[in-house]
Amino acid sequence: MLVLTRKLHQSIMIGDDIEVVILEVRGEQVRVGIRAPKDVTVHRKEIFEQIHETNVESSQTNPDDVPG
Amino acid sequence: MTKEKLTGTRFGEIEYGDGDNIVFTSGIIGFPDLKHFVLVPHREDSPFSWLQSIEEPALAFLVANPWHFVPEYRPEVGDGDVGDLSLTEANHVVLTTACVPGGEASNLTLNLAAPIVIQVDSKRGKQVVLEGEAYTIKHRVFPESVREAA
Repeated sequence: MLVLTRKLHQSIMIGDDIEVVILEVRGEQVRVGIRAPKDVTVHRKEIFEQIHETNVESSQTNPDDVPG
Repeated sequence: MTKEKLTGTRFGEIEYGDGDNIVFTSGIIGFPDLKHFVLVPHREDSPFSWLQSIEEPALAFLVANPWHFVPEYRPEVGDGDVGDLSLTEANHVVLTTACVPGGEASNLTLNLAAPIVIQVDSKRGKQVVLEGEAYTIKHRVFPESVREAA
């Protein structure tokens, strides 16, 4: 993993068109701004993982358990 | 129209035509490599369907018409996703993945935070992550009292 140190309001460019800006640092919380093309999807990792788990669970549902 | 046959699914053999193949360019979240699905109704008049993978016959996601259970559901799809799918007011359907934890129908949950949006005319689909925190990934359909009674 590439590790960079940044100060407040400084940013990182990923490729030509994705910018990650440090907006605010308060204790253990860091606010990050992301400027990216519309076709690049950005998710919080834990949300992405929860959706993945729920999709797996949905695919494992027994047809006999479906109500109705 | 030529009919294709899908064998080895959980529902036996499924016959589908070219027009039934829904293309998910980015896959379903957590399954980025699977891009082709058909929608198979669970039963006649059921709010549930199965989003059946064409590439992986053993895989099908249980999905539901969210408004059957949550009439007030108002998902706001972001501009990027609207553009990706060329959505207009009339040409899309919204489905949510559904889970029945522990096999108890009264435990039914719907993923209202990441609905599956299908553009009907072009047969393209995408699992969209809604912005904000209005809806949860595991929305309980039946309130506590119903669950206790069941």
